[in-house]
Amino acid sequence: MLPVRRLLAQPRFPSFSPARSSSNSSHKRYDVIVVGGGHAGTEAAAAATRIGAETLLITQKIQTIGALSCNPSMGGIGKGHLVKEVDALDGLMGRAGDYAGVHFSILNRRKGPAVWGPRAQLDRSRYKEFIQSELLNMPRLTVIEGSVEGLLVSAADPEQPGKHRVTGVRMADGGDKILCSSVVLTTGTFLSGSLFMGRTTSPGGRMGEAPSCAGLSHSLKEVLGLKLGRLKTGTPPRIIRETVNFSLTQLQLPDPQPTPFSFINTHTHCKPEEQIPCHLTVTTPGVDRVVRESLPVNSHVQQDTKGPRYCPSIESRVLRFPGRQHQVWLEPEGLNSDLIYPQGLSMTMPPEMQLRLIREIPALSQAEIHTPGYGVQYDFVCPTQLFPWLQLKSVQGLFLAGQINGTTGYEEAAAQGLWAGVNAGRTALSLPPLSLSRTESYIGVLIDDLVVHGVTEPYRMFTSRAEFRTSLRPDNADLRLTPKGREEIGCVSQHRYQEAVRVQQGLTEALSTLNSISLSPPCWREKLSDVGISENKSTLISGEEMLLYTDVSFSMLASTFPDLLSPYLEFAERIKIEAVYRPHCEKQQREMERMREEESLSLPPDFDYFSQQVSLSNEVREILDRARPSTLGAAMRLKGVTPAATVHLLNYVTKTDRKTRGK
Amino acid sequence: VNWQSCCVRCDSSVSSAAGPVDTIYALSSGQGRCGVAVVRVSGPAAGGALRSVAGLSRALPAPRTALLRSILNPQTNEVLDRGLVLWFPGSLPGLRPAEAGEFTQRAFHAGKLDLTEVEGLGDLIHAETEAQRRQALRQMAGDLGQLYNDWSQRLKRCLAHVEAFIDFSEGDLIEDGVLNQVDLDVPQLQMEIENHLCDERRGERLRSGVQVVIAGSTNVGKSSLFNILCQRPAAIVSPIAGTTRDIVETSLDIGGFPVLLSDTAGLRDTGDCVEKEGVRRARHMVELADVTLVLVDSTQLPQEPPMVSGFLREYLMNVLPSGNNYKQQRLLILNKIDLLPKEHISAIQNVLTQTSDLAPVCILSCHSREGLERFLTLLQDRLKTLCGDPLAGSPSLTQTRHRAHLQNCVEALNQYYQYRNVDLALAAEGLRLGLSSLGRITGKVGAEEILDVIFRDFCIGK
Repeated sequence: MLPVRRLLAQPRFPSFSPARSSSNSSHKRYDVIVVGGGHAGTEAAAAATRIGAETLLITQKIQTIGALSCNPSMGGIGKGHLVKEVDALDGLMGRAGDYAGVHFSILNRRKGPAVWGPRAQLDRSRYKEFIQSELLNMPRLTVIEGSVEGLLVSAADPEQPGKHRVTGVRMADGGDKILCSSVVLTTGTFLSGSLFMGRTTSPGGRMGEAPSCAGLSHSLKEVLGLKLGRLKTGTPPRIIRETVNFSLTQLQLPDPQPTPFSFINTHTHCKPEEQIPCHLTVTTPGVDRVVRESLPVNSHVQQDTKGPRYCPSIESRVLRFPGRQHQVWLEPEGLNSDLIYPQGLSMTMPPEMQLRLIREIPALSQAEIHTPGYGVQYDFVCPTQLFPWLQLKSVQGLFLAGQINGTTGYEEAAAQGLWAGVNAGRTALSLPPLSLSRTESYIGVLIDDLVVHGVTEPYRMFTSRAEFRTSLRPDNADLRLTPKGREEIGCVSQHRYQEAVRVQQGLTEALSTLNSISLSPPCWREKLSDVGISENKSTLISGEEMLLYTDVSFSMLASTFPDLLSPYLEFAERIKIEAVYRPHCEKQQREMERMREEESLSLPPDFDYFSQQVSLSNEVREILDRARPSTLGAAMRLKGVTPAATVHLLNYVTKTDRKTRGK
Repeated sequence: VNWQSCCVRCDSSVSSAAGPVDTIYALSSGQGRCGVAVVRVSGPAAGGALRSVAGLSRALPAPRTALLRSILNPQTNEVLDRGLVLWFPGSLPGLRPAEAGEFTQRAFHAGKLDLTEVEGLGDLIHAETEAQRRQALRQMAGDLGQLYNDWSQRLKRCLAHVEAFIDFSEGDLIEDGVLNQVDLDVPQLQMEIENHLCDERRGERLRSGVQVVIAGSTNVGKSSLFNILCQRPAAIVSPIAGTTRDIVETSLDIGGFPVLLSDTAGLRDTGDCVEKEGVRRARHMVELADVTLVLVDSTQLPQEPPMVSGFLREYLMNVLPSGNNYKQQRLLILNKIDLLPKEHISAIQNVLTQTSDLAPVCILSCHSREGLERFLTLLQDRLKTLCGDPLAGSPSLTQTRHRAHLQNCVEALNQYYQYRNVDLALAAEGLRLGLSSLGRITGKVGAEEILDVIFRDFCIGK
């Protein structure tokens, strides 16, 4: 193993390393094995390593570790929240984005900080470079190339819930067995994946790469008896940059001053002036025509497998909303790339029709396609079979993250990967698994939605999914998660922790200093003449209250009270946001506590919902029996579980609790 | 309690993890005022109990078939009532006694009733008067639920459009125009809810009874009127001034409307500390009243008819609370007209028809019962205005609980305007709070439903 590792530790030359799992690896026993090197797999491997677990990452090609297989961008509304949270827990994604970003912007800038969406266009090769150099230089992490053919499964530990226990993986070809305590599967679209283009179908999860081993699907379905579903997605053709007539498009400039994703970065790798623009264009009636003509030869579209409603192919957009103009974003694939990614033109028709279609758009009338678009259909494991710590309820030690759980998107994958890695590591080290609450993070919302409701279409994060949106903001992800990440979870470095504590102290001090400044309205009017303080106001106004006025910024106050406030100028924007949101967050506190209480009441995984001891309607019994929620909170969020039923459950649980405590 | 009908249902088996069980019985239709009473007997001895109360010597009725029987006291064989008996043999596995409200709860679980309908059913069980029953029926049929659901749907749509604008607008084809519609819909919705709230508590009043208070000076015949209205000598009547010293209350059905009638102590300055307290209570009662019947002894009226209106105006001012709540209904009743000569009465009537600023006037005699018919018709009209016709117009607000949630909703919607142009996340938070207040009446609205509306209404590109 050692020689392989030394070779791999040189990320700049990954193509020189056609390494395969050597027979050496079978002698070593790992704490955690992560299968897959996408966004979920890389975060999982890194998180397990940070927890302190000896970890092995198995990927089909080391070269594709950290590949952005679809859009060359990350973040956005809701997704940006996830990036910030992954970063707050010391994950890779935020820092990788800061390194690879070539066009930064904050979406929703006009709509309030709770829904700001930090986003960046990325340089594909830089992103990969960053992720690979991080992983390949990480202590306690080994990376090998290879295909996993199946899982090693033994009888369950009777002390723990579950029917089976995973003990390792079996590699393809050589059939080597590698033993471990926990396995994290992050196989993306490769689980029984098939690719669609026109009328042709071929097995695979990503164009140009070998299909995943059918053995893994078999392990999950037949050996472990898991319930699988099928979803589809797609990617647009890549267009040769120099064939695009950009003069017919609308220029989209980045923010003049890029904002880094990571809480520990003060600036991005890309200099502000080096950022590159995007271009916007729209479809024409000709596009509609080609789509309709393509239908008979477009088998992906004809399938009833569920695709995403929000990232639809151009075919489904035209079919659902005919006669409309649809936006097409022409995004650069990188600083030096000669390719353009046409966001909004995901399609699965035959390549010659793809060319006809794009040429119906004036700016693309001379365009050439480098690689045609295609569709993917793949298996996912119904995520209601998971605990909130992303371990399968029926298989001890087996964790799932990413598209295998029915989600879509890099950020959703990374968030789950991190959390699965944390818990795979903790389980291997005999620490209790942990779950994140909906009240503290979007990651908690994401995982709770998955394990409670399951998915019927690829799941994507939206800010509208978070009930405590005003409290779960991108700006405060570090305050919400970093201290906990160090103190309770164990996945945050000392350096990052210290930074978060420093920021927290700074903010607290700044706010209490602001509150110590208290002036009468006339005094304020004299100092800040442009602010419209109501004439009726007669009571003293504190500095914090002044920040509630839209046109009052912290720096204005700091120039009025330089001695008191200028030490906190580095937090100016955050202080303003805190002050504006504090009253609303306080209102949410009670609701949040109620939810946390409900989430702290756990329901036994083997609970007999059909027993007569708890009074429930048959419908509710069936719903609960099927979903097996881990907590009372999760039970309440199930569709069809009524308030009355929750009361009965609550009574039962608290009564049983008291009884067991009495013993 | 007027038992219109009685129904006994028995089931013989109870399954329980705890093994053999007692036979239990309960008045399933709730305590007290029930039009139809259902008594449920459950357990191993249920069959025997049924045979003895229904006077069936050997055979039990055919299973699940209603049988009209006299219900007997098993000891004395005295007939208690006539009613239906039903037999549910225990071959059905898993049968067990219902817990309080469980039948309704099941219907609620099964989505057959929403929360307002469940409450309507509760009201129906407790409905004492015809108008109450009609309102309860209407609520149970889901009229109120429909109204609240309609609001909830519309607010959900508003929220979905704001959420769509937040989650998708930039880079997607959601035009800024979506908010324009929301800007129109939210105030419209708010206005409708406010109007519903401004019904002057009609529905609640119908549900809990109209407060009618008899007030006036001592010895004008308040207790006599009280006794006539409740058709029994509930209050002591004597020629001695200050006989009634405390509030005497009774509940009545007047023309189908529920009335809580109170007789009060006569208003006068007195040194007697007990009577003083009585007067204080009387004044307090008048303040709370929906309708005040201001009673006057017509023999005390000034002899010269033109002076009458001035006298009555002053009398009213003395009886009614200062500030004179304009919402309060009042009737001026001139009692003891049997003691006045006929000409004098018509002279007074003449004067009063020319005075418009006084309360509506009734002239009657509690002694001879003259004018009583007209008074009752007038009172009924007042009650009708106060309670509203439960079958006309939009359904009335019947529960204080609903009122509180609706008020919260209206307040939350204000937050939308407050932040609309400053911070859309906080503006949306206002709509979310409003929707969750409505949801507390009709049931929750989840994020997934909002997303469904978003995807139905918009073509989302990214």
